[in-house]
Amino acid sequence: MDITLTVNGREHRLAVDVRTTLLDTLRERLGLTGSKKGCDQGQCGACTVLMDGVRVLACFILAVAAQDAKITTIEGLAGEDEPLHPMQQAFLDHDAYQCGYCTPGQIMSAIACVTEGHAGTDDEIREYMSGNLCRCAAYPKIVAAVSQAAGEMKATQAAPELEHA
Amino acid sequence: MPDDATWPLIGAPIPRIEGRAKVTGQALFASDEPVANPAYAYLVTSTIARGRIRSFDLAAAEAVEGVLDILTHENVGHQADPPPPHGPGKETTTMQTDQVWHGGQIIGVVVAETYEAAREAGLKVRVDYKEEAPSATFGSKGAVTKQREPGEHKDFAKGDADAAFKASAFRVDERFGTPTQHHNPIELFTTTCVWHDGSLTVYEPSQFVYGLRGALAKQLHLDPKRIRVVARHVGGAFGSKGIPSARTAWIAIAARRLNRAVKFVATRGQGYTIATYRAETQHHIRLSADASGKLTSLFHEGWELTSRPSDYNTSGTETTARMYACPNLQTRVNVVHADRNTPGFMRAPPDVPYMFPLEVAIDELAEQMRMDPIELRRINDTQVDPATGLRFSSRALMACFDQAAARFGWSGRDPTPGKMRDGDWLIGWGCAAAAYPANIGAGAARVTFGADGMASVQIAAHDIGTGSHTIIAQTAADRLGLQLAQITVQIGDSDLPPAGLAAGSSHASGICHAVDKACEDLRARIALAATTSNTGPFAGHNPATLSLHAGKLRGEDGTSEDARDAIKRVTGGALEAYAENIPKGLEADSVGKLYSGQMAISRGTSRKDVTAYAFGAQFAEVRVHARTREIRVPRVVGAFSAGRIINPRTAHSQLMGGMIWGISSALHEKTEIDPQAARYTNDNIAEYLIPVNADIRAVEVIIVPEQDAEVNPIGMKGIGEIGVVGMNAAISNAVYHATGKRVRSLPIRIDDLL
Repeated sequence: MDITLTVNGREHRLAVDVRTTLLDTLRERLGLTGSKKGCDQGQCGACTVLMDGVRVLACFILAVAAQDAKITTIEGLAGEDEPLHPMQQAFLDHDAYQCGYCTPGQIMSAIACVTEGHAGTDDEIREYMSGNLCRCAAYPKIVAAVSQAAGEMKATQAAPELEHA
Repeated sequence: MPDDATWPLIGAPIPRIEGRAKVTGQALFASDEPVANPAYAYLVTSTIARGRIRSFDLAAAEAVEGVLDILTHENVGHQADPPPPHGPGKETTTMQTDQVWHGGQIIGVVVAETYEAAREAGLKVRVDYKEEAPSATFGSKGAVTKQREPGEHKDFAKGDADAAFKASAFRVDERFGTPTQHHNPIELFTTTCVWHDGSLTVYEPSQFVYGLRGALAKQLHLDPKRIRVVARHVGGAFGSKGIPSARTAWIAIAARRLNRAVKFVATRGQGYTIATYRAETQHHIRLSADASGKLTSLFHEGWELTSRPSDYNTSGTETTARMYACPNLQTRVNVVHADRNTPGFMRAPPDVPYMFPLEVAIDELAEQMRMDPIELRRINDTQVDPATGLRFSSRALMACFDQAAARFGWSGRDPTPGKMRDGDWLIGWGCAAAAYPANIGAGAARVTFGADGMASVQIAAHDIGTGSHTIIAQTAADRLGLQLAQITVQIGDSDLPPAGLAAGSSHASGICHAVDKACEDLRARIALAATTSNTGPFAGHNPATLSLHAGKLRGEDGTSEDARDAIKRVTGGALEAYAENIPKGLEADSVGKLYSGQMAISRGTSRKDVTAYAFGAQFAEVRVHARTREIRVPRVVGAFSAGRIINPRTAHSQLMGGMIWGISSALHEKTEIDPQAARYTNDNIAEYLIPVNADIRAVEVIIVPEQDAEVNPIGMKGIGEIGVVGMNAAISNAVYHATGKRVRSLPIRIDDLL
């Protein structure tokens, strides 16, 4: 089936099997391998991306169903020589990862956690970040990172990088 | 050039050098590697746990549009041998024959133009089995128990443990159990194979790229030089990616048959049966003490589950026999064969299941004696390995207890169970010891230092989240007197000089010593050129006294020159050094072993001069709801002495993650097995419980400084495992303190406390 996807502000026209997930389309067809496959069944959160600014599991969305949305992946937050998004910088600052495999999903989820207004307290962050598993168990540092970035994102209002989302 | 403020780099809390790649999605994990026009593979796995395959009906699968090839034992079985066994005994087979050894065994590979077509066809393969009744686990009909022969692991017998136990005033005689656990790294098991002119490139997450290369060479009867294994970043491993698995050879054969790249990504469920796991264990402990608290006997017998043909075991009695001074010791380990996939090593392989019963038994003994459990440990602390009589290279167990106890506030504990309470919540405080051998791997490294002042390090090391990239850069920058930004690090590729298996807390020390040695070779060459030159500031100096520091070659008398000028005395291009490091306790051919894909690890338990271990102390507070029996862990404190810490920042994350693994081991993780079908029933990452963010509260890590000149030249002990050891016992002891219920079988669940 011929579809059009808008990812990180760019339009992609491609033909996909109707069964193809948004995650496999991003990874296998568009070369956007930052979104990770950790379970392919909506349990781990490693594939989290934003659709019109809302966090979704890319393994749970069929590509054909994502056509009308503006999709933002981890690659859409900061270009090669650009400054990092405050959330990316906060993950660096707090060593909020080890292997880094769940990290893109954590960061996308964390941005949404803040924009949803669910980063008010550490307890709230823990609760609203519990859909993203980290087997290295960087959880306390993820909470610290989200908390730091929440303050910075608030200070700069909405993150400008997300405007195309 | 750099300024002095950045030194010393060894011991500095440097942020991960690959951090930006990881937070921008640019870090390439194996399945992210771009390959041209790949086909996609899907595994067909057995739905029975024991029997034979009579026949396949492939008609429906072959009819799926886009299917390119279907591999079974009937058409490719002879083309690959099984991976070499990773323990005593033999390995199960997969598609070599019609035999089914366990549920979820690889019995077919479907390759198609798309993943969707391969999956559809894979699910349409019909198999006619000749099924036999399988044995699932301990106590199952047909499971066969046998005593483990001494080999890699030894049993200890000192004095007369039986007689001393009977004669003692205070005795604990109990049985314990720990469950099956699966590593479940978030990165799935993936393999991408590409052939070019008879040579094979494999992109696969691995903890031992040379090991995988060597195994594949044997399995496929290829010259190892024709195989390259690449694993630049590894998305968690915890032991699961250290042992070559059967899948890789079949994906390689699939790619060869099609003359096309083949990509394979296992499902989460397949990961439970196509790789290894931590076997369930059972224990019998008899522990006794005299009236002063001195231990009089320790008897520890363990049972570990394994597959039918393999005698794989972890034998954690090697550690429990060494924990406390004790004149009468006896240990024994048994393996129990059932129709299961072969287990393997999972984070702190022996010590998570074996330290649990010992450290609970110590708590039980202390309670019986009305003694503080820390004091009981202090009375029996020793600087001499009780099992062998060798000295410990260093042992700061009680310093760890003292620092963690102070931070935790242990002195405020009412020892009577059930006495501490906050409203409806019963509060329990517990502690336990941690220990893990200080192992170190052999390794080789190549370091290039250019006249432009830039350096690069090449070593086939592995970064499974442990921080290898960063500590390699720190070591090289420190030794060459450079800034981190002047160092390029290449790892995770079997075309680079070999490093060992990234497991057993042996990797960081192994790779840092290899890099250190190559840097020293460069320093010596630069210094020799400087001192033998008739001109220049160092003419006549002793080259051994010159060091590279802050961009300069420096003498002890303060003489210095720009390092780039010093290099230019030798070359206008670049100096290169290749060095091999063979740690004490290993044979001279150890790096040769690495080249051929074999392990080469000097173990802290098998040295002739000293016994080398890292130690720690774990403290936990649990809150058990008086009515619902819900268990929460509001805070844990761990203190660890592990020699010289190269990077306290990444070390903190390692230890903290380990402690959370300990909470998980105590309260969350268990792979459930259907006792009739001998198949795993919660083979996904929602029903196999691991902590989520909301489960984890305060986790405090204390690094107790320790200098150990004997363990190895840099004085490093590994930290990948020790953080997890003992936390399961600390939590069980805390649950007892809260409720008066002693739970000796993990994980502890609400129903254990009703």
